[in-house]
Amino acid sequence: MRSRLLIFFLVILFALPFGLLGLLAVGEGWRFPDALPPAYSLEPLRGLIAADNGLLAGLGQSLLLAGAVAVLATAGGFVVARAVARSRRPGRWTALSYLPYALPPVLLAVLIQPFIIRMHLSGSVGGVLLGLLLVALPFATLLLSSFWTQRATEYEQLASTLGCTPRQALRWVLLPLAAPLLRTTLVQTFLLGWFDFGLTNVLSVGKVRTLTVQVFTYVGEANGPLAAVASLLLLLPPALLLLANKSALLRKP
Amino acid sequence: MLLVSHLSKHFHDQPVLRDISLRLAEGEVLAVLGRSGCGKTTLLKILAGLETPDTGTLTLHGQDLLPVPPNERQMVYLYQEPLLFPHLSVFENVAFGLRIRKVKEVEIKRQVTDLLAELELSEHAQKAPHQLSGGQRQRVSFGRALIIRPRLLLLDEPFGNLDAQTRTAMQELFGRVSRQHGITSIFVTHDSREALTVGSRLGYLERGVLTSFATVAEFIQDPRTNIAAELSFWENIQRTANPTPTPPQKGGALVLESKNLEN
Repeated sequence: MRSRLLIFFLVILFALPFGLLGLLAVGEGWRFPDALPPAYSLEPLRGLIAADNGLLAGLGQSLLLAGAVAVLATAGGFVVARAVARSRRPGRWTALSYLPYALPPVLLAVLIQPFIIRMHLSGSVGGVLLGLLLVALPFATLLLSSFWTQRATEYEQLASTLGCTPRQALRWVLLPLAAPLLRTTLVQTFLLGWFDFGLTNVLSVGKVRTLTVQVFTYVGEANGPLAAVASLLLLLPPALLLLANKSALLRKP
Repeated sequence: MLLVSHLSKHFHDQPVLRDISLRLAEGEVLAVLGRSGCGKTTLLKILAGLETPDTGTLTLHGQDLLPVPPNERQMVYLYQEPLLFPHLSVFENVAFGLRIRKVKEVEIKRQVTDLLAELELSEHAQKAPHQLSGGQRQRVSFGRALIIRPRLLLLDEPFGNLDAQTRTAMQELFGRVSRQHGITSIFVTHDSREALTVGSRLGYLERGVLTSFATVAEFIQDPRTNIAAELSFWENIQRTANPTPTPPQKGGALVLESKNLEN
């Protein structure tokens, strides 16, 4: 009974932001102390497909950026974590991987901005991607370092003596063994790129308007319905991703 | 014929293997007895191509093995842990080496089915590794190695994690299958009884130096193997427990006491 009650509260807690955002998006003239909006309109949702507000374009850019960050950081993290684990002093490299977290992402963006400008990447998706990777790659490396234990080496060596080339060992043995952790890393780095505002805002110099950046803009402009629609869009992909990967995320260590 | 000559290996200036030489004919099982840290694993890894020696030569049927990468040596290294692939069924674990070699599906099915039957694993073919007992897992690991017909099988204390009864059964199975398939192997262990059970040739490795014994008697008499001392211990126990010359009754006190001491 107690556990059912707990599940009920957790479901409410999880669903509440979606419900409230939905009401904010379709409610008209909703003011205090009304418990619910007095009228409803689908106008803000129709505005989604209007060419001038850029929400769908922002969604596309966010998906592209977060997807690219997730894939590149996870693939890179897998390789770097292996190199770290097999280096002479893995502890030193692992400590270095924590360094990007000594700085808030916004400050990191300010520090790397001159280099991004010199590379002619300022205000481009490539520049923002590079900045996000500076945060996501060490994060993925730290997450994936738990895979490269002595056991992984033994599996790799066994596969080799059974006749696998290094590429076959990776394809048929190491990647399937690491699959749950790789899925977790993909989700985590996707979320890192998806929800980033500070770093993206600085490096994009107002030109790369991801969904997160747009939500902040609408909130700043006190444009409630549009901010709510944008937030709903913002929450949807991560929620779907978390649901699709719940078995990997909830796996036992 | 495997020929190892003057093999040496150092790790951080510490000698691990010193001037190892051995000769192993086809179908022979060399059981190497040694304590932890004596260099057994390094020796096997060098033979498998997973480590490189500082000096020495390795030849198999006249072929110089040193330039050959591990995946082309056709020498399978078996760890103490069975290391079954958890994402594959028992059937697919055994079939792994054949799939890598792109053997035809019909042939894979025939060979794997036959081998599973031989290893008494047919009924477990579709099970996942975590559904098997320790002995069954080790048999699957053995099958996965055997299916590629290795030129040399390298076993690094493969039954070390099994209980006494399963271990005995696995030793018997290993001996039977080795003879049937004419497998040449090097079997390292720290258990003298296991060495005597599985080995057709015997060796002792201590601080990186390998001593080969021409006969079982020499192996037993070498004080480093500790077998003579153990035999004397059991004889003393027998004398203490049963001072009269009458033979012990089946299931009697002596048998029970011996088992307790053994465990």
